[in-house]
Order: sequence, then C-alpha cells, then structure tokens
Amino acid sequence: MKVALKIWRYDAVAGERALKEYEVDAPDEATLLDCLDIIKDRVDGTLAYRKSCRMMICGSCGMRMNGGAVLACKTRMYDIAQAGEVPVISAMGNLPIVKDLVVDMQPFWDKINAVKPYLDPGYAEPGEKEYVVSQAEMDPIQKESLCIFCGCCVSECNSMEADPDFLGPAALAKAMRFVGDPRDEATVERLQEYSGPHGIWDCTRCYFCQERCPKGVDPRDAIAKLGAEAMRHGIDSDMGAKHAKWFVTSSKTTGWLRETELVPKTQGVAASIKEIKFAMGLLKHGKVPPPVPPHVAKDVGEARALYDLVKTQEREGAAGIVQGEKALSLLEFEDAVERDPYAEGSFPRPLPLETDQGSP
Amino acid sequence: MRTVAYYKGCLASLSAKELDISTQALAPKVGLELLELERVTCCGAGDIHEAEPDYYLHLNARILAYAEQTGSDTLMTVCNVCTLNLRQANHQLRIDEKLLARVNANLESVGAPAYTGGIDVQHFLWLVSAGEGYELLKEAAHKGLKGLRIAPFYGCQILRPSKLLGFEDPDKPESLERIIEACGGEPIDYPAKIKCCGFPIIQAREDVALSELIQPIEQAKDAGADAMVTPCPLCHLSLDAWQSKLLKETGRDFQMPVLHLSQLIGVAAGLESSELKFRRHVVSVEPVVEKLAI
Repeated sequence: MKVALKIWRYDAVAGERALKEYEVDAPDEATLLDCLDIIKDRVDGTLAYRKSCRMMICGSCGMRMNGGAVLACKTRMYDIAQAGEVPVISAMGNLPIVKDLVVDMQPFWDKINAVKPYLDPGYAEPGEKEYVVSQAEMDPIQKESLCIFCGCCVSECNSMEADPDFLGPAALAKAMRFVGDPRDEATVERLQEYSGPHGIWDCTRCYFCQERCPKGVDPRDAIAKLGAEAMRHGIDSDMGAKHAKWFVTSSKTTGWLRETELVPKTQGVAASIKEIKFAMGLLKHGKVPPPVPPHVAKDVGEARALYDLVKTQEREGAAGIVQGEKALSLLEFEDAVERDPYAEGSFPRPLPLETDQGSP
Repeated sequence: MRTVAYYKGCLASLSAKELDISTQALAPKVGLELLELERVTCCGAGDIHEAEPDYYLHLNARILAYAEQTGSDTLMTVCNVCTLNLRQANHQLRIDEKLLARVNANLESVGAPAYTGGIDVQHFLWLVSAGEGYELLKEAAHKGLKGLRIAPFYGCQILRPSKLLGFEDPDKPESLERIIEACGGEPIDYPAKIKCCGFPIIQAREDVALSELIQPIEQAKDAGADAMVTPCPLCHLSLDAWQSKLLKETGRDFQMPVLHLSQLIGVAAGLESSELKFRRHVVSVEPVVEKLAI
C-alpha cells in the first residue's frame, strides 16, 4: 500500500520547524513505526524518532498523530491509507522537543521520581521469611501496574498545559500503584504529599489521559482512587478535597448541590469575602441561587440512608472504584460476538492428548 | 413523539435554570416528551466518585432505577458531567451481575426501587444530532441563524473516555457542527473545542482553571465567532461567568456570548424570549439577538 505522512521536523540547533510530506510503499500490515523506518531507510536518514521493542512494551515510540498521542508501533496504517488520509505526525506535547519526533523525557522522569516509585516496607533489613502477597491483594492496583512510561497520557494533559509543575497522570497513576500496595507502609505520608499543590486535586478531569493510554492504565481513575484513599485517611484539608466533600454533604441533605455554599466550603469564609464583588455580578443574573429555602429533592432520606448503609459495607476509599473495574474492562467487548477461535480459516484445532499419543 | 425520562441535574435546577426552561420548551418541537424525575439527587459530578465512590455508585443506581420506573428505556441528560457519571455507573451495573445484586439489595432496603438494567443514558445533543431527532430538528429550526458564526464547544465528558461515551470520534466530533448548520449558522473550527473549560477545579485551583478557560474563548474570538455554544451547563458557567475574571487577570475583554445548546436550537426554532431567558447570562447575548433581528 502507499502511505503518505506529513511530519513536523524540528531542528533544535537552528530552532527551525518544517512540515514535510513523505510517501512510501509499505506492506499492508505496516504500523506507523514501520512506515517511519521505511522513510528513514529509503528517503531521509536524518529523521529522528525513538523506538526499541516494536511490540508495545518498551514505551519508546510515543508521538502524536493528528494531535493525539499514540504508540507508533501500535498504530496500523492500512485503514488510514485506504481512506486516502495524510495524517500529521509530530512530537508529543507537554515535553520539550529535542529533534523531530524525539522529546526530552527528563521532566517526565522527574515527576515519576517525585512520587517515590518504590516500596517503603517500613523496615531496613528484610526478615528471614519472604513477604507473601495474594493475588486478591494486588488486584486493586493491577491496572496501575501496566504502565510502560511512554508518556502518551501526559501529551494532552490539559492541567499540565496550564501548570507545567502538575505531577500529571503517569506519575499519579504510579503513586496509586504504591498507595494500593499492601506491602507499603508509607501510605499516609504518600497521600499527604500527593495532596499538596500540583497533585491529586489539580487534575481537571479532561480524561485525555484515559483516552490516550495505550495500555489500559486509566490514569484518571487512578487519580480518583488516590483522592478516595486520601479522604478515607482523613487527608482532606486541600481545597479540592473540601470541594468534593461538599458534594457528598449536599447530596445527603438536600439531594442537589448547594451551589451557593460551595465557595465558602471550598475556599473558607475569609477567601470567599474577596469574591463578593464577583458574586454580586453573578447574583444579578440569577447565578447565585439563594440557599434559603433550600431546593430539596423528594425522598432525599433515601440518599442519606444509602450513605449510612454503604459506609458499613467495607468498600470505602479506592475499593469503591476497584469494584467496578472488571465491568469497565469488559466494556469494549460488550457487543463482541462469540466466535470459535478454531473456525475454518483459523488455527487448526489441537488434537486431544490421548489421540496424539496413540497416533503413529 | 419519543417519551424519555428527563434528568435535569443540579445546575439546570438552580443557577442554569435557563437551560431547563429552554429544553422543556424545545422538546416537543424535536419530538421529545420529557418525563421529569422528581425523586432523584445529584449524580456526584465526579466529586462524589472521587470522595465516596461506593456511595456515588448507589446514588446513580437510584437515579437509573427511578428513570426505569417511568417505563421509558432512555434517560435524557443535559449535562456532560451527569452523562459520564450516569453512563459509568450504568455500564458497571449492567455488566456485573453481582455488583447489581448488591446495589439493588441496598436500594430496596432504603425504600428505593431496584434497577434491572433497562436504561440507556443519552445526552440531549445525541438525541437531536442523529436519526429521527435530527430530521425533526431540521424542520423545527425554520427561523434560522442567518449565517451567524458559531463556535461549538464540546467540553470533555461528552467525548472522553470514548469507551463509556462513544457517540462520536472524540478527536473529530461533528454533532454540534451538524446542528449549527441545520439551524442556518456557520460553524467555526478551532483546536480548543474539545479541550477542558477548567470548571472542575475553578474553585480549588482558579489560576490553573483560568489558563485552560482562556484558550477556547480566545480562539473562538480570534476565529471571528459571534457566539459559542455548549452542551454542558458547567462549561457554560465557566465560559460565561468567568470571562470577567479573565478580564481582570489578562486585561482581555472578550464579551463572547455563550449559548446553551437548547437555546441555540431554540433561537432557530423561534422560541420566545421568555423561553430562552438570555437575561440570565452574565455576558450579554444582545449582540446576537440584534444580528438576528435585522
């Protein structure tokens, strides 16, 4: 097949950017990475990009296709080429570009290191016996453990664009991987640290990370798990945590969000006084609903009773999210048709062992 | 007429009443009969999902159960955040029988109905941008937007995660553009139309949120938009009400009118001003109204 690509070239020394178009012949099964290899071999040897394993496990070849981060080795070109599209390939976002499609991963690694991505077992010398952990104990962090550090989740992170110091989805997913590890003894200290500025509560919930991650880590859900764990441990002094708590209080008392009280409950009374002029501007247009009389949902007592009931059922904190993960992982297969893997045209059906042994 | 259960959510009940009023007025014109739910609460807006996730699941299951009680198979939302929260809970409950059984036992023990999994959660945008709803919309939008230049702003949680939402390509959505065109307007294209408005952190991290918020408004302005339109009342609130803060922080006075989706279609379909309630907006919509009056 013929594959055409537009590639944003970048020469850091000269500081020059240029969009160059290439067209190559590639086998039908070629990935984006294969096509880049063909360009580099046959058309322009100066094209720079990272690669290593070519099989979605080393995390080297993260780059943007039409503005969205992908692993080049996971992206098949057949459908795109058949549709006559000429995708634009560029370096990942939120990281400095070194050359062409190569980014400087140092800021990424600095953030990973900042969350202390190693076990703190609470002792200096290991005991005589090994520490046995059951599968069930590790299941809650199974998704977070799948990260291959490719940086795709960081590329379009909207909070990081606005605040380059934001720890971001990769580092926070890694943070959850250790918060949820039964062997780790530093849970509270970790949660306190991650709850500070540029941490858990800086996530703007744009879900770009979840959309881009090529390995199913679901970093936004990992951040929600961290938030839930922080709350469970009573680490709730950050404004983001207070904001979240007010939704819980509102739903139990009136059923609906008590909007007008949200600002003082989040920012504190003193800070809200500074907002009075702003609030008066909104008041004129009915954007500050009077808290009295409250807008109460019918039978809101049911919500309150549900809150009290589920609190006794040991699914507090991240466990409340973990319980739904199995269903979410099956989601993309919901409409899948059950098929016989050994149907005609597929693999030969293996022979039963006894027949195999008896044959000449 | 298609009968759907209608979940307003918090903002359309309170600070964004104009969204509810215009939606209710428009619904019959696009073939929708709305059965408003009375016993429901907030979906948690992602905040309860993060603070008390098990409680979040139960709250949303309760909303779905009451929606099912109406006899409709569809729950219509008018907010991105409600859409994601309800669809997320719905998928978990529909796929995992054990989880559904536990949640139902809890619902019944507090006097709420059990949920059998028969509800599909659909945003208003999806109901009127495809199929029969779209055909009716094209007929209803007779008054036309007279070539008004409209910047569509999708917001996040109607596009991503696409695994849960899945109505259209999250990187190249076109439902709003389709509607703008059907209403006689000219859709404006700009990169930030699928990005975040900053609303979820506008209270806790205002500086970060404002850096996000300025992008779509600035790009829409620079592209010559007369107004923006959004399917989400949270995006609407930050885009509309926080423009005064952008003026204070950056010195740029955008004066960009922002319409709810139901208002945009409503203008084209000839709703009365008492049904559109533009006076409830912080940034004046008057320039748009004047352009259309000529």
